[in-house]
Amino acid sequence: MMTGSIRAAGLRAGSVVVLLLLWWIAAKLVHDPEVLPDPAAIAVTIAGNFQSPGPTGHSAIFHISLTLGRIFAAFAASMLLGIAIGLVMGRSRLVERALLAVIPLMLTIPTILMVFLAVMWFGFSEAGGLVAVMAVVTPYVAVNIFEGAKAMDGSLIEMGVAFKAQNWLLIRKVYLPQLMPYIFSAFRYAFGMTWKIVALAETFGLKFGIGYMFFFWFEQFNMVQVMAWIVMFVVLMLVLEHGLFARLESRAFAWRGAIAH
Amino acid sequence: MTSVEPSEIRLSPGLLTIAAGLVAWQALSLFFPPVIFPGPWTLLQRMAAIYSDPASYAVVAQTLRRIFEGFAIAMVAGTAFGLLMGLKRDVELFFDTWIMVLLTVPAVCWAFLSVLWFGISDIAPILTIVLIVFPFVVINIWEGTKAMDKDLMEMGSVYRADRSLMFRKVIIPQLMPYIFSSLRIALSLSWKIALVAEAFGAGDGIGQKLINWFQDTRVDMMLAWGVSFMIVMVLVDVLAFRLWARRMFDWRPQLAT
Amino acid sequence: MALGARSIDRTHLRPQPTVRPGPTLSTAIAVHNLTKTFSKPGTETQFVVLDDISLSVEEGKFVTIVGPSGCGKSTLLNIIAGIERYDTGSVQLSPRRGSPTHQPRVGYVFQSPRLLNWLTTAGNIEFALEAQNVPGQQWKERVTRQLEMVGLGGQERNYPLRLSGGMQQRVAIARALAIEPDILLMDEPFSHLDAITARKMRFDLMEILAKARPTILFVTHDLAEAVFLSDRIYMMKTNPARIFKEVAIDLPRPRKPEDPALLDLEKNLVQEFFGVLEGTG
Repeated sequence: MMTGSIRAAGLRAGSVVVLLLLWWIAAKLVHDPEVLPDPAAIAVTIAGNFQSPGPTGHSAIFHISLTLGRIFAAFAASMLLGIAIGLVMGRSRLVERALLAVIPLMLTIPTILMVFLAVMWFGFSEAGGLVAVMAVVTPYVAVNIFEGAKAMDGSLIEMGVAFKAQNWLLIRKVYLPQLMPYIFSAFRYAFGMTWKIVALAETFGLKFGIGYMFFFWFEQFNMVQVMAWIVMFVVLMLVLEHGLFARLESRAFAWRGAIAH
Repeated sequence: MTSVEPSEIRLSPGLLTIAAGLVAWQALSLFFPPVIFPGPWTLLQRMAAIYSDPASYAVVAQTLRRIFEGFAIAMVAGTAFGLLMGLKRDVELFFDTWIMVLLTVPAVCWAFLSVLWFGISDIAPILTIVLIVFPFVVINIWEGTKAMDKDLMEMGSVYRADRSLMFRKVIIPQLMPYIFSSLRIALSLSWKIALVAEAFGAGDGIGQKLINWFQDTRVDMMLAWGVSFMIVMVLVDVLAFRLWARRMFDWRPQLAT
Repeated sequence: MALGARSIDRTHLRPQPTVRPGPTLSTAIAVHNLTKTFSKPGTETQFVVLDDISLSVEEGKFVTIVGPSGCGKSTLLNIIAGIERYDTGSVQLSPRRGSPTHQPRVGYVFQSPRLLNWLTTAGNIEFALEAQNVPGQQWKERVTRQLEMVGLGGQERNYPLRLSGGMQQRVAIARALAIEPDILLMDEPFSHLDAITARKMRFDLMEILAKARPTILFVTHDLAEAVFLSDRIYMMKTNPARIFKEVAIDLPRPRKPEDPALLDLEKNLVQEFFGVLEGTG
């Protein structure tokens, strides 16, 4: 329904407008930029952050790139390790039962504890941040992939073998497409978790980055800057999660035809 | 291979891993000072020290209170809002961007904002919990409403059931599995977020203990508080939910998981 | 998050059929020139679901609409039940027995039982009673009586998932009858049952209805079933749905499916029925 999707887009755009409006009104009512800065002030501050080097001598671009770099590195490492472990668990009952005892435990440990431990043991450094992320995300991915490996359609694999398909071909055309939904759902959740952990780790102890700036301005009681950096972060993550992933997902799942939403 | 005796079967690989893990842990810890890398025995000793001090229980109680308050508010508001979004398309379209944004803000940011707004107090952790958990519950319940059986709604309409009756007998029962899973997820999230929030802005509570010991570089004390709390929350999850689940779903023949 | 699906929204459930006495005092349902079109979401095309439908049902009579599955038969029933809107034409219903200002009580039996599986058999019937504002003191008696009538006496505390398909459908019938409906709508209620169960259910239905005489509008694709059950049948073709013949079935009750007069009538009608359906097919 043409009218339907226009209406949908309209309502959604409208909600953003209303949000900004309500914010602006609330800020006017409160009248204290220490408590609730208005959207314009925040926009100005954000622009300023990009143009001039901040208190650390680096502009926003530097911090953002640093955080993004950490996120992608940690995310990639966790996904790869998690997929590998998940596949091994799928093929070996021994590994499966051994790890299934440990993984739920790891998934219960609160993130903040993991971050503290990682930072204390591996230093206030990139290594600490990386370990913190991997300790939380890898088990989750492993379990997900393991479920996918278990659910694989044995008959399709038999068919491949019956046609004397080579291993690599089997992997590419039979295993991977069936694993893709699991990889993808793990992907999205892992990414979400990763950037939250990186933000937390940066707050506590990594040098520079978006989380570092959160904390810096928090200690200065600078509400405008704290909000500015939060907005920058949220917008960045929204763009990544919904822009990037939505697109990747529809390409990866083209073979499912109309079923995929 | 020789036949396996029944008594041997109980030593599953899982148990063996845990046992082996404990032994390896204890062995490894001998190489480090206990304040950096405590072994299981040290940990137990620290926990005993903590819980033989009556003041500790007040600390735990504070944290538990905040968790349950935040959790309760998030569940009630989240369920109501999720229902609203599921049943009214316009509400869904309007608010889904707001929900998305809420999902994207990390807990630590809310914690900072709450402290800047309300100072060191109870509000920071409770508000943070609500703002993080609420969107999760909304999405869960909203998914539940999408999965509802339209045929049954139609049947209710035909018999002219009013809103209240539809909710009580048709809508809520279909949502129970979703409400239930929301409860579990919400509680699990709530206690973890309570710790983060308390670390920054509560002045007391377990989260505060964690960050204090972190700053004092005392891994042993930090783990003692953290691990003991984890055990409590896991017990709550098992007792509250596994037992309750069994009673809830006995109208389903042999399907209860 | 799939944000594109429809949510369950009742704001489209209007207009209601008008309630006033029909052309004759004894007409329970009167439908005149009813038309409904439907536009496919995402396209501009409209197709006509119901095309200029006119029919009437006298009080206490059993009228059946026979036609191929799908098409507009369910839609027609839904419109009469007041849960779907129509475009042009009119639908008039006689008011409730004993309350001239009220809408008639409408009971509905669907193709599938549509029971609330988390309620007991009794609970399901009570749901309808509560929905219809029947006073609480009457519930127990009505539930017991109706379950007896459909042959499920004693099953009050059983849950639907423990019952067979046929038994579940009986509960659905009990539910419809418990509200003491003025009008009973039945949408191919036996089509999902096996032939043996369906046959038994037809007999039982005739017995039950001998005692309580609501007005019945029945829909089926099975001509034999229609001839066996009804006082009058309307034949309907699809795409778009249109009534092409009206036949009175004057055979005395109780009827036997093997009765030669009945079989004879059926034979004649079959020729016409399938002739039209396949001719215009």
